[in-house]
Amino acid sequence: MEEGEGEGVIGSDVVEREEDEAATELLRDRFRLCTISIAEAEAKRNDMEVSQPIMACISDLAFKFAEELAKDLELFAQHAGRKSVNMEDVILSAHRNKHLATSLRSFCNDLKAKEPQSDRKRKKGSKKEGKAAAVIHIPDI
Amino acid sequence: MDDTFDPDLIHAIFKLVWSRRAHECERNEGTEALESEVGAGTSKKNRPTSVNANALKLSCELLRVFVTEAVQRAATIAEAEGVSKIEATHLERILPQLLLDF
Repeated sequence: MEEGEGEGVIGSDVVEREEDEAATELLRDRFRLCTISIAEAEAKRNDMEVSQPIMACISDLAFKFAEELAKDLELFAQHAGRKSVNMEDVILSAHRNKHLATSLRSFCNDLKAKEPQSDRKRKKGSKKEGKAAAVIHIPDI
Repeated sequence: MDDTFDPDLIHAIFKLVWSRRAHECERNEGTEALESEVGAGTSKKNRPTSVNANALKLSCELLRVFVTEAVQRAATIAEAEGVSKIEATHLERILPQLLLDF
C-alpha cells in the first residue's frame, strides 16, 4: 500500500513541480512590478536613478526574502500552537533588528487603532464570528 | 508611504510557499512513515496555515521597508561617489549589512 502511494506521489511530482514553477514565475513577475514602483518612488525621493539590472536584483532579493519570511511565519505560528499567522509572528520575524521591530510595532498599533471601535465590540459579543471574519483561510491546493 | 505591496499578492506568495512545504512533508511521510513525529506538523491536509489580514499588511510593510532600505543605502553610496544612477557596485557595497539587518 505504501509503495503504491509512493509511486503515485512520484508520478504526479513532475507535473506538480512544473505547475509550481509556473505559478512561482507568475508571482515573481507580479512581485517585480510592485517592487519597481516602490523602488522607483524611493529613488526619486533621493534624486537617483536605478539601473535596470539592479532593479531586477533588488526585486529577486525581496522575493527570496518574502519566501523565507513565509517559512518563518509558518514555523512561528506552529510553535505558538496556532494555525493562523498573526501580527506578533511578523514582529518576531524582525527581532534581530530592534529599530525594525519598533517600527513594525508602531505600524501594528496604527493598524489596530484603525480598526473601527464597533468592530471590537462585536468581537466581544461573538468571538467566533469575529475571528472567522478576520482570518483568511487558505484552501489546500 | 503611498506605494506598498498588494496584500493579495503577498498572500499568494505565502500560500505557494506553504503548499510547497506541505507537499514536501507529505512526501517524507510517504517514504519514511514517521506518522507520530510528523503528525504534529503542517502536513495534515485538514490544517492549512492561514494568515490574519492585519498580519498580511504588516508583512507588506516589512517587505516595503526592505526594498526602500536597499534603494536608500545604495543611493547614499552612489551619492558619495558623485553619480546619480545606482549601479551594481553600489548594491554590492550595501548588500552584506542589508542582509544582516533583515
